[in-house]
Amino acid sequence: MSNHETKINYIKKDLPKGFLKFGLPLLIIGIVSAFIAYQVDPMRASFNNIISLLLIVSVGLGAIFLVALEHIAGAVWSVPFRRIAEHQGFIFLATPLLALPILFNMHDIYEWTHLNVVVNDPILYQKSPYLNTEFFYARSIGIFVVMSIFLFTYLRNSTRQDTTQSQKTTKINALISAVFMPLFAISITMVAIDYAMSLEPHWFSTIFGVYYFAGTFATAMAVLTLLTLKLKSNGNLLKEINGNHYYSMGGLMFAFTAFWMYMAFSQYMLIWYANIPEETFWFLPRMENGWEYLSIGLIFIKFIIPFGLLLNRNSKMNPSRLKLAAFWIIGAHIYDMYWLVMPTYNRMSGTEGPVFGWIELGFISLSAGIILVFYYLAANKKNHIPIGDPKLNRALDFRI
Amino acid sequence: MSKLYSVAALFKTPDDIMHAASKVADAGYEKYDVNTPYPIHGMDGAMKLKSSKMGYYTITIGLTCMSLMLFFMYWVYNIDYPQVIGGKPLFPLPAFVPIMFEITILTGAVLTVAVMLIFYFKFPNNAHPLHDSSYMKAVSSDKFGVNIEAVDPKFDLDKVKAFLASIGAYQIDEIYFDEEEVNTKHKILDSKFVIGMFLIAGFTSISVYLHMNKALYLPPFDWMLLQHKVTAQDHSDFFKNGISSREPVEGTVARGFMPYLYSEDPDGASDNLVNPFVADEENIALGKKKYLTYCSPCHGDLAKGDSRLNGQFPNGPTLHSDKLLSWTDGRIYHVITEGQNVMPGYKKTVTRKERWAIVNYVRKLQRALDAKEEDMQ
Amino acid sequence: MSTIDYTKNEVNVKGTRSLKEIDDLIVAPLDRIPNKKFFIAIGFTSTLLLIGTIGIALSFYYGTGLWGNNNPVGWAFPIVNFVFWVGIGHAGTLISAILFLLRQRWRNGIARFAEAMTIFAVITALIFPIIHTGRPWVAAVYLLPYPNQHAVWVNFNSPLLWDVFAVSTYFTVSLVFWYVGLIPDFALLRDRATGKIKKVIYSIFSLGWRFSNRHWQHYEMTYLILAGLATPLVLSVHTIVSFDFAVSILPGWHTTIFPPYFVAGAIFSGFAMVQNSLIVIRKVFDMDDLIPLKTLETMNKIILLTGTMVGYAYSMEFFIAWYSGSQPEYFTFVNRAFGPYAWAYWTMFSCNVFIPQLFWIKKIRTSIVPMFIIAIFVNVGMWFERFVIVVTSLSRDFLPSSWAYYRPTITDFAILLGSFGLFFTLTLLFTRFLPSIAIAEIKAVSEGAQPSHHGGEDHE
Repeated sequence: MSNHETKINYIKKDLPKGFLKFGLPLLIIGIVSAFIAYQVDPMRASFNNIISLLLIVSVGLGAIFLVALEHIAGAVWSVPFRRIAEHQGFIFLATPLLALPILFNMHDIYEWTHLNVVVNDPILYQKSPYLNTEFFYARSIGIFVVMSIFLFTYLRNSTRQDTTQSQKTTKINALISAVFMPLFAISITMVAIDYAMSLEPHWFSTIFGVYYFAGTFATAMAVLTLLTLKLKSNGNLLKEINGNHYYSMGGLMFAFTAFWMYMAFSQYMLIWYANIPEETFWFLPRMENGWEYLSIGLIFIKFIIPFGLLLNRNSKMNPSRLKLAAFWIIGAHIYDMYWLVMPTYNRMSGTEGPVFGWIELGFISLSAGIILVFYYLAANKKNHIPIGDPKLNRALDFRI
Repeated sequence: MSKLYSVAALFKTPDDIMHAASKVADAGYEKYDVNTPYPIHGMDGAMKLKSSKMGYYTITIGLTCMSLMLFFMYWVYNIDYPQVIGGKPLFPLPAFVPIMFEITILTGAVLTVAVMLIFYFKFPNNAHPLHDSSYMKAVSSDKFGVNIEAVDPKFDLDKVKAFLASIGAYQIDEIYFDEEEVNTKHKILDSKFVIGMFLIAGFTSISVYLHMNKALYLPPFDWMLLQHKVTAQDHSDFFKNGISSREPVEGTVARGFMPYLYSEDPDGASDNLVNPFVADEENIALGKKKYLTYCSPCHGDLAKGDSRLNGQFPNGPTLHSDKLLSWTDGRIYHVITEGQNVMPGYKKTVTRKERWAIVNYVRKLQRALDAKEEDMQ
Repeated sequence: MSTIDYTKNEVNVKGTRSLKEIDDLIVAPLDRIPNKKFFIAIGFTSTLLLIGTIGIALSFYYGTGLWGNNNPVGWAFPIVNFVFWVGIGHAGTLISAILFLLRQRWRNGIARFAEAMTIFAVITALIFPIIHTGRPWVAAVYLLPYPNQHAVWVNFNSPLLWDVFAVSTYFTVSLVFWYVGLIPDFALLRDRATGKIKKVIYSIFSLGWRFSNRHWQHYEMTYLILAGLATPLVLSVHTIVSFDFAVSILPGWHTTIFPPYFVAGAIFSGFAMVQNSLIVIRKVFDMDDLIPLKTLETMNKIILLTGTMVGYAYSMEFFIAWYSGSQPEYFTFVNRAFGPYAWAYWTMFSCNVFIPQLFWIKKIRTSIVPMFIIAIFVNVGMWFERFVIVVTSLSRDFLPSSWAYYRPTITDFAILLGSFGLFFTLTLLFTRFLPSIAIAEIKAVSEGAQPSHHGGEDHE
């Protein structure tokens, strides 16, 4: 493919107003309802809090991963969206806000924090070198600090490149990403194990980290797609960005939707087939008291429908259909997290069947608010395109 | 007889051919084709072709075959040969998923290619007029060509040539073909074809027969019978008497068999045998059944000695005589077992338990005709 | 090569060649009588093949008692080799299908070759489960669900049967994919052929392809669909192979990470094998500029990546074995690392996780001899991975009284060597008799082969 030295014609524009106009009210509603929820029903609020945390980690940490992936793979087509992903990674900084209430309420959520239970349970006792509050705090803080350092490094390098246009930065970023990748793998596995898997401390599944990662990738990509479409329609991006780029985004969402199903099926099938009580007990509560409909629904909502939405080539190129699919994938991820977390709420609180009410809605509103407001904080008055990136011209020239 | 197939023009660069293709399409020709050594991006746009629909075949074929496979597995497990395997339900859907998936991929891939090659391309077809022409040789390697067929409604030899020259062709050929050679319409009753079909049918039948009945024939699983050991009642040269089995040690008793010790000793039986069974309802019912079967023909239904045989056979005596009333259970049991006078022994036909049950029943009958004071309470 | 210019697209085939020259270059090995190097290579590989054939013949004559399989370790070398070879095949499909979907242009030069390797690897792999049944002439047919004289059906519940479906589907689809790619090249060979017999053969295989753009359109779409189908297929095949182990309840086999872990391992070993073969082929057929160093370097990066992923799976397995609190599970892993097979475990671990880390160094990544040696280590390591999984778990199972140490016999080794012989013989023959680079595909991406799209028809 030949190269054309097109001059990049980037005009800086303010963010669309919607970010604050919708973001702030959602955030305030979320905070208020979360606050009330913690007064009324602290246990249910804590579990919802975990769902929100897992979602925000997916959106934020997933975005940092997307940035690193581009650097390490030397990908070209995604260069125009890297800055958006970097700003999206900024949302990761909201995680302490969501993690703190959980850390203070661990007794309500995690059975392994109950000393009397742990002492009398040989399996939990055996796990206590890993599952104990101090180490849990240490891991959470460690993950946050390490990943934030990477986030700021990427942001700084990228912003500097806008003016220096240095090719060296691109190379350094690739090296940084090589260090980032294994750390990310450990971090996301730990997030999954600590916050979600240890809700049922007896249960274990080696694939669990990868399961969460599959959903994370699709969700981060979906948020990135939505932001891109929004900014594009507002004229914040370059006119050269077109269906070819959208196609790649849609393709990745599609691939990771299928990948999620692959992980979910592998986990379910192996446990179902071997039929060992140490493992099956995790699926049993998800097959009774109304949860069975949600479990079957998960297959449709998280796999079949988005798969169908994105299967066709045109639907990956058409912004409005892509937007629908992206929204759907984010919703499906929330649904998935709900399905992972809430059966334990039933067990801990003695309730039966799935619950849904204003508390759940409040926390979803909180998550949405965080995404919008933090993105606004990160991206306002900034360039939305890495205009100094040496690969940008090639990226704009990209054809499938 | 040679006939004109088309006018073929060669171009040198991909840009030229793109330009030429869109010009030809714009000029309103329908029966034309562009031949290039590799697919050129955007050519379907230039030729104004509709986008390919192959994907729909794949989805349709794949999903259909997947459903058929699912139904087949359901039929096997639930209808044809229901069998629980590995504690799984009869319709273990998760275990079917891998096979359903593989079938979808297999049929989707193979049949899509088949549809494309056979129905879209009408392949194999090595008798096309273009084959072996210098034009074909050029476009297969490094040139780009357009050919406009003679059957196009707008076709006019000179005009087409001029038109192709005007859009930048550097070489223009006329392609002729021999109608006989490329005639692909075969008669269905062509003798060679019919003989060929018969040969194929015969070959297939014979090979399937041989395969299924000879190559794959396995005898029923009988290897357990074919063991190197001596079976009971067999001949054996090892022992002097030539019999494989040995005689048991003196005094050996078969399992479940209780020897009768008083066969010549009615008094011994009378003194020593005690009825081991309690005359409960079940036991009496058994005794009644057996009595009516074996005893009543001679002794009568109520044991009064009123035989149904009406003297055709020596009448059995009544069992209500004083002699009988004074006998012990063991004595009666002895008579049933060994017989007395003309009465045969019943030890071969009536089991020990049944004989004792008959004794109990006889006692009950006797009691019925000779009730005691305490029975009134 | 020390600095990369990020503003330029990488050029995959060095220098600008005319389309005609590309033809000549790729077809050359088919036209000339091969050189001495070729005969030395094929002599070596066919000797290996002969050794393997003798091993199999002896096994058929005397029975599988010639193998080292013992009572707890019933699945030994044959299954290890099967999993190993199926894994080798995966890299081929990855290169031909997944990288095609990801539009990685460096793949074009090696895609055809990698696909061929897939097919040969699957053929090699298929030998093992079939001979492992003991009576292959019966087993080959009784594995298929067809109405038979016993009125019984195959067991659709069994992962071993899923394997039959998965591997045969994989073989068929790979073959179709490969053949579809070959059709235009056959047509080109047909038009170049001078000899009568060659022409007839090529005509038959080309099916009468006419390079028509009305055909190219459907052809490209179908190729895309095949790539799209081959991608989940390749994942599913090793997933199902992993199910053979993971659906059981044997500690060390039953772990939910097995499917992706097997797939990553398969790609890892497959890339090492493709890299090794490419280096050999490059040497034997003098194709240095068609298979540039850049391609090998990219492959080394993928080896590094998948090696690290495999390392993640090892650590995860170990961690969860401890975390599960299940004693047999934990014992199995401690036994792997410190039990009688510790030598195999540490061979596996160092070859798969530590040694590939050398690829971080650019110097090693781009010099032929070190990378060749590292890839051999990777192959050894991945073979040992399967060995560790199959043998250690079985040799010490639930009942300590039945524990036994497994020792392979000379027949086992003969068959293993033979499998390498078969694979490389087929590969060499392929390179001699078919165009080992997809001509039409490489032409389509060579410099100036596509019309400049600015101002041209823009399809969106």
